[in-house]
Amino acid sequence: MQCYSGFALQERYAGRKPNSDNSGRPLEHTGTVNASTLSHSPPIPPAAVVADGAGATLRLAGDWRLPHVERLSAALSALPRPARLVALDGGALTGFDTAGALALLRYLQQQPGADLRSAVPRNFSQHHRRILDVVAGQLVRVGSVEQARSPGVFEAIGRASAALWNLLAGHVQFLGYIAAGLATLVTHPQRLRVKELAAQLEQVGIRAIPVVVLVTFLIGLVFAYLLGVQAERYGASLFVVDGVAIGMSREFSPLLVAVIVAGRSGAAFTAQLGTMRLTEETDAIRVLGLSPMDVLVLPRLFAIVVALPLLVFVGDVVSNLGGMLMADRVLGLVPATYLDRLQAALRLNDVIVGLAKAPVFALFIAVIGIRMGMTVSSDTRSIGINTTSTVVQSIVSVILLDALFAVVFQKLGI
Amino acid sequence: MPTTDAVLEVDGVVTRFGAQTIHNGVSFTLQRGQLVALIGGSGTGKSVLLREIVGLLRPSAGTVRLLGTDIWNASAAELSAVRRRFGMMFQDGALFSSLDVAHNVAVPLIEHTDLRGEVLWPLVQLRIGLAGLEPGSDRKMPSELSGGMRKRAAIARALALEPEVIFLDEPTSGLDPITARAFDKLVRFLVDDLGVTILLVTHDLDTLLTVVDRVIVLAKGKVLADGPVREVMQTSDAWVQSYFSVRTMIGGGSETHGT
Repeated sequence: MQCYSGFALQERYAGRKPNSDNSGRPLEHTGTVNASTLSHSPPIPPAAVVADGAGATLRLAGDWRLPHVERLSAALSALPRPARLVALDGGALTGFDTAGALALLRYLQQQPGADLRSAVPRNFSQHHRRILDVVAGQLVRVGSVEQARSPGVFEAIGRASAALWNLLAGHVQFLGYIAAGLATLVTHPQRLRVKELAAQLEQVGIRAIPVVVLVTFLIGLVFAYLLGVQAERYGASLFVVDGVAIGMSREFSPLLVAVIVAGRSGAAFTAQLGTMRLTEETDAIRVLGLSPMDVLVLPRLFAIVVALPLLVFVGDVVSNLGGMLMADRVLGLVPATYLDRLQAALRLNDVIVGLAKAPVFALFIAVIGIRMGMTVSSDTRSIGINTTSTVVQSIVSVILLDALFAVVFQKLGI
Repeated sequence: MPTTDAVLEVDGVVTRFGAQTIHNGVSFTLQRGQLVALIGGSGTGKSVLLREIVGLLRPSAGTVRLLGTDIWNASAAELSAVRRRFGMMFQDGALFSSLDVAHNVAVPLIEHTDLRGEVLWPLVQLRIGLAGLEPGSDRKMPSELSGGMRKRAAIARALALEPEVIFLDEPTSGLDPITARAFDKLVRFLVDDLGVTILLVTHDLDTLLTVVDRVIVLAKGKVLADGPVREVMQTSDAWVQSYFSVRTMIGGGSETHGT
């Protein structure tokens, strides 16, 4: 299939005026050699060193192109070290491309004192010669190939700590910007973007209702069942109502709803704002004399701070409906009894504690989601990274805040 | 044995997006070893046509034969075989944002050849150098590159396998004139000395007037003119006339052509 015959090559190039026609790929090697030529000549190695009085000549033959480069490099490194290379003979090449030229030149580099001036290329076709020259022009930079160093354990820990610190400091700083933005809004209330706020409220609040209802209903159901199984043993089925009502409105409803909103809206904030940064929309807003704070940040912040307590209230109600259903079916507590007990067991304080936590959770989710979106670096990958990070940070901070609230309320005796 | 030296045959391609007709029977043939430019006003579907040629977007009607394969009636295996034999550069580079420049360029080499380590990386460096990127840019991530550098990295990736056919979508837009002229030399080298066939979408009059063998003008959904630049410039169409007259306005009509 491949031709290593110099004779056939001469035939092929004999009639060709270089650069005058574009009819063919000059280095085509398939199907252009007639079989009789091939059968007469034994295969010639792709590279051979021939020494005579003046010095050594490196004879190249065959197809020196990308698919064979691995084999060619091996052949070159297997050559005996010539005393002094004075010439390269490219007359028997059937194919030559930049990959082949690179392999040849890198071999030359390894020979002491050898380059294209000392080892003169001979019998190369005009095309091959030009390829050789072009590659030689790039050779300086090709020489050094250093691999990326992977950092050690301590370095990795150090970098991660510094990054975490920068992240937190950045959040605090961003909170400051938001406070400044709020102050401006107080003095210039007409700058509030009502339309944008309404759109965000719909997105963050109303559209989240179905999933909040579904999740809190099911959790209320499960919670009532688990409590009921235990309470029934002691004949204290009625206290299931206390457990569901207080547990859900104080702890679980705010926590669950905050996690849902962090996953839904926090992630959406990051992805939306990140994409807008990538397409330079945020820059366009700034250049048009609008403030990203007014147009993008504050409507989202308000929407989430308003919507989250409302959603928590929905969760409070729906989880008790779930508990009521389970109490009726499994524990034999009719809804009237459930409601009666609910009124006695649930203090208004418990509900208020749950609702009061929600805006704080919302503030954290908003600051994290918005800031992570605004700090997307200019590539698509970083949108994904930041969105993931938003969800993780939001959920972790919601749980930490919840723990903090538990301690504080305990101390205050609320 | 192929009976023809046609690398690409586009035959009667029709493209409709809803009620809008972009192409209404576009046909042309590319011969091996040609450097052909595709020009046309905004919205004439140059990039769309490229996407149809490389198999990304199915035309409403018509056939595309690339390297002897009917792109829209080929099996998955045939298609993937043909995909190794051409390179494509997208308008905005389309670099993989999770990989640095060197690895972006290495992707086709790693996927389609057995080259590794000591053979692979010098070759990658060579491609990056040929595309005109400064030393040291190979370790950069795409997000750290300027628009022009991203373009050059994309060209390097399209060249990686030194394929038989290369499609370039606006390769010199956003490049400074010096780099753009170096690019012209590079494509000429690829075509003349390596026998690559190149189809490029361009608005760069310098590229058109100095290095391109042939120009195909797309207008009103058809091929309006097809031939060497000098012939196309004589076309009486108003758009073609005003397109090339920009050059004569700036150069005072005394521009010098020739490679």
